[in-house]
Amino acid sequence: MSGLSRDHVRTMMGEVLAAQGKQLPADDSTRLDGIGFRSLDFSELALRVEDELDTELNFDAPELRSVETVGDVLDFIDQLQPTA
Amino acid sequence: MSDPVSTQDPIPAASCVLITGGTKGLGLELVRDTLQRGAKVATFSRKLTPEIEQLQQEYDGRLFAAPVDINDQDGVKRFFKDASAVLGPIDSLVNNAAMGQDSMHLHTSPEQIARIVQTNLTAPLVLTRAFIRHAMAKTGRGRIVMITSVCAQRGYSGLVTYAATKGGLDAAMRTLAREMHGRFLVNSVAPGFFASDMSSVLGTEQLSTIARRTPSGRMVTPANIAPVVRSLLFDDTNLNGQVITIDGGSSI
Ligand SMILES: NC(=O)c1ccc[n+]([C@@H]2O[C@H](COP(=O)([O-])OP(=O)(O)OC[C@H]3O[C@@H](n4cnc5c(N)ncnc54)[C@H](OP(=O)(O)O)[C@@H]3O)[C@@H](O)[C@H]2O)c1
Repeated sequence: MSGLSRDHVRTMMGEVLAAQGKQLPADDSTRLDGIGFRSLDFSELALRVEDELDTELNFDAPELRSVETVGDVLDFIDQLQPTA
Repeated sequence: MSDPVSTQDPIPAASCVLITGGTKGLGLELVRDTLQRGAKVATFSRKLTPEIEQLQQEYDGRLFAAPVDINDQDGVKRFFKDASAVLGPIDSLVNNAAMGQDSMHLHTSPEQIARIVQTNLTAPLVLTRAFIRHAMAKTGRGRIVMITSVCAQRGYSGLVTYAATKGGLDAAMRTLAREMHGRFLVNSVAPGFFASDMSSVLGTEQLSTIARRTPSGRMVTPANIAPVVRSLLFDDTNLNGQVITIDGGSSI
């Protein structure tokens, strides 16, 4: 099974924010607290990715604590996805 | 049928206590404290530690420790046999061994939920049954302490299944206290967060937030909990069917 591309996940992240009337900046180093992307928004994104992959991506909360920027979110989703 | 023990003497102080998960953290503190109080102790966990081996040397003949997984029913049965062959009948139980959790419910796999329920609820209930059967036959009366958690009373994110198991043990504790009328004193001790392997997933920032928000001004330590468990095991307080919360007041 192949995972979703970083660009694809970025688009989905934009959709999660857009549903709340917020925008995803182009810069990966943007801090999440600055754009109002909270931990349940991350959960929503992870569930959307799961839906597309048709597989569960379970993880523990401490792993999420170091996620601070847009780039961190994309990296985290990337390493959660099963490798091809 | 008249019950010969329904109206008389208090349930005696513990003399031989099984403390599950006594090799580190709170369990180790409880093993030390119970030995210092003069009782014999049996304990197990999956792996023995240098600390418990050291205590075995210090308290030769009064401390029995062996590697057992609480989920291994046959292993637990064997442990009861081996421990009581060395120490004599076991009359009290502290259900301390447990595993932690730090994952949101929606991201916790069904397999992990099952593992937590098995280790923290099913296995302690099965072990408590084995203990009561042993103690009823050998000594007739005794004391049981469940180590639960403030999480069973207040919501903490990341601990859904863990909280459910601790709430389940509190509920079982009350029912058992009534069911074992005049035979066993059964209570729970529910600590707030304290530093241990289990809580090591909490960052220093989270730990200092907990300390700051605690009305007593400091987090709980195993040394705060030991005297309360000691009292439930040894004193004639007539406390029964209660949850005693030790959290510096953070849940008030
Ligand atoms: N730490 C906290 O903040 C906190 C707060 C409230 C309540 N509590 C409760 O306090 C009790 C002690 O916790 P702690 O923080 O001292 O935990 P800990 O340091 O992780 O110690 C747990 C003990 O249980 C044993 N254990 C775990 N799984 C086991 C298994 N499958 N079979 C047999 N033994 C097992 C461990 O040894 P092995 O790993 O070698 O098996 C260890 O001896 C637990 O009931 C916990 O739920 C803790």
